[in-house]
Amino acid sequence: MQSNIWLLLPVLLPILGGLAVLHLHERSRRRFIVIALMVAQLVLLIPAFQAGGEELHLLELAAGIRLVLRLDDLGRLFSGLVCIIWFLVTFFAEQYMDHEERRERFFGFYLITLGAMMGICFAGNLVTLYMFYEMMTLCSFPLVLHSGTRESFAAAWRYLAFSVTGAALGLMGLFLLQGYCSTDLFTLGGVLDPAVAGGNKPFLLTVFLIMAVGFGAKAGMFPLHAWLPVAHPVAPGPASAVLSGLITKMGICAILRVTYYLYGWEFLSGTWVQKAALVLALLTILMGSTLALREDVMKKRLAWSTVSQVSYVIFGIMLLTPTGLEGALFQVVFHAIAKNALFLSVAAIIYRTGLTRASELQGIGITNPVCMWCFTIGALSLIGIPPTGGFFAKWKLAQGALDSTLGPLAYVGIAILMISALLTAGYLLPVVINAFFPGDWFDRSALQPQKPLWLIWVPLLVLAAAAVVLGIFPTLVSPLVEGVVYALF
Amino acid sequence: MSALLAVLVFGPFVCGICSYLLGRYSKEMRNGFVLLSTAAELGLLLYLSGEGSITLSFPDVCGLGIGFELGGFHTVLAFLAASGWFTASVLSMEYFVHVKRRNRYYMFWLLTLGATMGIFLSADLYTTFIFFEMMSFTSYVFVVQTEERAALRAGGTYLAVAVIGGLVTLSGIFILYHQLGTVQISEMASAAEAVGNKTVLWTGGILTLVGFASKAGAFPLHIWLPTAHPAAPAPASGVLSGVITKTGIYGVSILSVTIFLHNSTWGMMLAVIGGITMILGAVLGVLSIDLKRTLACSSVSQIGFILTGISMQCLLGHHNALAVAGTILHIVNHSLIKMVLFPAAGVIHLSTESFDLNDIRGFGRGKPLLAVIMGVPMLSLAGVPLLSGYVSKTLLHESIVEYIEMAGASAWFFHCLEWVFLISGGLTLCYMLKLFFCIFVEENIAQKDMEKHWKLNRPGAFIAKASAVVLLAYAVCMPLLGAMPTKMMDPIAAFGRGFFHGEVPEHAVEYFSLTNLLGAGISLSIGILVYIFLVCTMLRPWHADQDQLYINPIPAWLDLEFSVYRPLLTVLAEILLLLATVVDRFFARLLFGFVPKCIFFIKRFLMEWWAQVYYLFMRETYIPRPSLEEFGDDEHFAFYANHPTGQKGIMHSFGFGLLIAGIGLGIVLLCILLDII
Repeated sequence: MQSNIWLLLPVLLPILGGLAVLHLHERSRRRFIVIALMVAQLVLLIPAFQAGGEELHLLELAAGIRLVLRLDDLGRLFSGLVCIIWFLVTFFAEQYMDHEERRERFFGFYLITLGAMMGICFAGNLVTLYMFYEMMTLCSFPLVLHSGTRESFAAAWRYLAFSVTGAALGLMGLFLLQGYCSTDLFTLGGVLDPAVAGGNKPFLLTVFLIMAVGFGAKAGMFPLHAWLPVAHPVAPGPASAVLSGLITKMGICAILRVTYYLYGWEFLSGTWVQKAALVLALLTILMGSTLALREDVMKKRLAWSTVSQVSYVIFGIMLLTPTGLEGALFQVVFHAIAKNALFLSVAAIIYRTGLTRASELQGIGITNPVCMWCFTIGALSLIGIPPTGGFFAKWKLAQGALDSTLGPLAYVGIAILMISALLTAGYLLPVVINAFFPGDWFDRSALQPQKPLWLIWVPLLVLAAAAVVLGIFPTLVSPLVEGVVYALF
Repeated sequence: MSALLAVLVFGPFVCGICSYLLGRYSKEMRNGFVLLSTAAELGLLLYLSGEGSITLSFPDVCGLGIGFELGGFHTVLAFLAASGWFTASVLSMEYFVHVKRRNRYYMFWLLTLGATMGIFLSADLYTTFIFFEMMSFTSYVFVVQTEERAALRAGGTYLAVAVIGGLVTLSGIFILYHQLGTVQISEMASAAEAVGNKTVLWTGGILTLVGFASKAGAFPLHIWLPTAHPAAPAPASGVLSGVITKTGIYGVSILSVTIFLHNSTWGMMLAVIGGITMILGAVLGVLSIDLKRTLACSSVSQIGFILTGISMQCLLGHHNALAVAGTILHIVNHSLIKMVLFPAAGVIHLSTESFDLNDIRGFGRGKPLLAVIMGVPMLSLAGVPLLSGYVSKTLLHESIVEYIEMAGASAWFFHCLEWVFLISGGLTLCYMLKLFFCIFVEENIAQKDMEKHWKLNRPGAFIAKASAVVLLAYAVCMPLLGAMPTKMMDPIAAFGRGFFHGEVPEHAVEYFSLTNLLGAGISLSIGILVYIFLVCTMLRPWHADQDQLYINPIPAWLDLEFSVYRPLLTVLAEILLLLATVVDRFFARLLFGFVPKCIFFIKRFLMEWWAQVYYLFMRETYIPRPSLEEFGDDEHFAFYANHPTGQKGIMHSFGFGLLIAGIGLGIVLLCILLDII
């Protein structure tokens, strides 16, 4: 086959490794193999990243329907982010899963899901993307129903129904687009054939909305958001962290591909469909933040927060301005970091104390200072308080909105971003305050700081540090982000 | 030199973290370290301030890059911060002997110092905002340090106002940056002139103002101040009132000297805000019966004076020499005075364990040292001639008088403003007299018993030597500054003038001329009259059989926070929740509930209608096949046949049809995959 076989390895390794891990029942050996696989995965990414933009044709299902892998800057950004955070969460999971049954199943599917996500990042055309997209849905399904309770089954089925519906809408778009594209490969600036597409603009725009809503299901965008606040919380802690922080981003990846690599921003700019998508995103932002206020169960609160925060990204994408897209990509990175830090610290507290509700976390900062510090930093980043990363992402998003030619909608967008930030502060800061300042009437005599659990602490500390360090020095990420953006515009 | 500037800003952050780690091993070492850090900060600043203007920038940090500048107004404010922190640290040593969780306190204490330095030395609005947000969050920790219920509630309000204000300011800065293309303080003025669309610029400016004004404590966003300042430990209240409110003032100044340079509309707006804040704070101060609350209300009022000064320098345009000098000097004065009064209140608290005027009454009897330490700043703030406060107030007053002649049609407004100014100045004297007489002259209900009780609380001296020396040094400064204003105070004003684009005064101000003394005289007489006729009678109602207690005449419902802001926010949150729930459920309900029901009803309606038509023509009852009822009960999923019980009944069902279709699809898929077609 072609020389670019390096692209296949990061996809295949976790899938094959995961299949093997499914049958590994001995704990110490499994732990070693899982971590070795994750290290190998990170190492394998390096040659893949350097391999350049050559395509890897896997197989041809029928004329014009082929599976192609190709790596561009967008793929590098997403796959790098996913792998690094996945790597960190693995350590956390090794400790956390002590509490749970059927660990080999968890780790097996955990790895297979990673492989499928690599496939999405590396996909060279929509067919490949769709295939790995469905595979990711199916492989993350066991992660959601891991605990096996009635509640988790209901949630998992709902997850499956919404995801498959969403993907089916995406597939429908793929069918409908046949005949309008000059090539099936993702291309900078779009593949629509101007000769054919020009006359069918209303039709193509409708198809775009269908696809955006379909892939938006994974990103928790209204109207197909209802699975997210149910499915994320029932999964075990580390799984909810990656579900919220990373798997939602695969929906974003698909939307990015469709918007910028199939349609091209010029085709969509200023059309009704751009406004419609923006309105959907803004509606989701406001709805998610507001409903998070009401939730008392921490994981549900964070899941609602994901609904809101991931739609920031869609807002940035649909602004169709360079700065807006930059903001969207920064938001992808910083939300992934912050949300993982938040979910992991909540999971760590569940692991330590079994407390799940915000109202029960009175004084938890005294017994679990490290976890709550990481929670605080994640929360500040999510609200967008400088110097954390979330602030910079929001700055770029707002500048992008002002750059656009949308007029009043841009100002409404900024206002909603700000209201949502306020609501975010409203549902996260009281937790922090209660945890660290329980009040002088609170009985502290029995409280003792607990022993360190390094497998839990290290990933948390790395994520929290990343939120701050990358916020102060965004230049560490910006070359990749700018590489994506300035190739497109 | 610029590297040292970085130390000035980032040093305290590092020291803060070090102090926390150090404090886990030794409390004494930590205390010494904190004291040393603040002293080093002050020393470094004094060393650098002799070097003229120093700039330092870190491109790309935090995205846009941050920049610092030392010199002029920046130095004046930074000096206030460094000296304030140093003083308060000295006093903290005494105040915090028996307090728990000091480690946390000192860490955030130093972090806040670094953030405040960052604000005052910032060379662009972006840097200002970044450090402004940091300061809001780190200073929260010392507002709630005691973790009493009241402190937590006050802290909540503080944080809410800080977050809301911060976000509004941020959206303003978004707009300003987008319009101007720069937020460098030195470039904003010229960039603003080039902007055609003034409406957008004004929107940005006003939004930016909100956060800064709320931090300064300007009406109507002052609500957090009278509760949060008293909630903090006394030394921290000192810096909250004396220094941290000035960060807001700094932000307002940036706007007033860049995009709204010499803009009279902006000046009018600030004058209105300043006037209301000035009188409101003063009235609240007179009515309050809590020592620290009175001082906090006094801060609100003095911020009003400073805002008035800023507004005057906008209005006066190129004749702003007096207004600029008055603004700068009043900032300095207020800061120095509050840095003494709040810690002194803390000293009283150490013995009395209360701030209630009725409890601490008579505490100062026979304590001349404390009387000097507190009395001099009080009179200075009231604007008594020969003390420093008189100088800045005279300058501000003169600038208003100066503008009345230029104002033309709106002269009436500035006449009113002048009277508001004079009355507020009078009320300042009034509440200071109230405090002074209460603490140092009047006797407590059971003076002897109380003195024993106080002694028991604090055996030994009621004030530590180090604290007394520091506070006394401040108190001695004030007459020195005030008696020789041209030698001591004018140079300070001249030093900071450049930032405001202040003109050089045409001639030296005659501070002790008859007109100026007359203005002060009117103001002070108002104060004395109000004290005699209001405070001594109505606020201390006379009872035949018991002592005259101070009463607080403000009814509980007359509270902007609890009667307006909190209910408003609650209602807004409820509405949002309702709407969000509707949006969340709407589509699911519509898709899975409403639409099928509609289809069902329409179908039944059509069937009934068809049955009637059928009967009309055929004269027999219409039996639908399969009937709706059968359809509902069908366990085999929709049989078509009339008698599905037979052997091959399954063949006639809808399910069987689906199965066949599925097999067909499977074959087609197989064909596609095998590329047969």
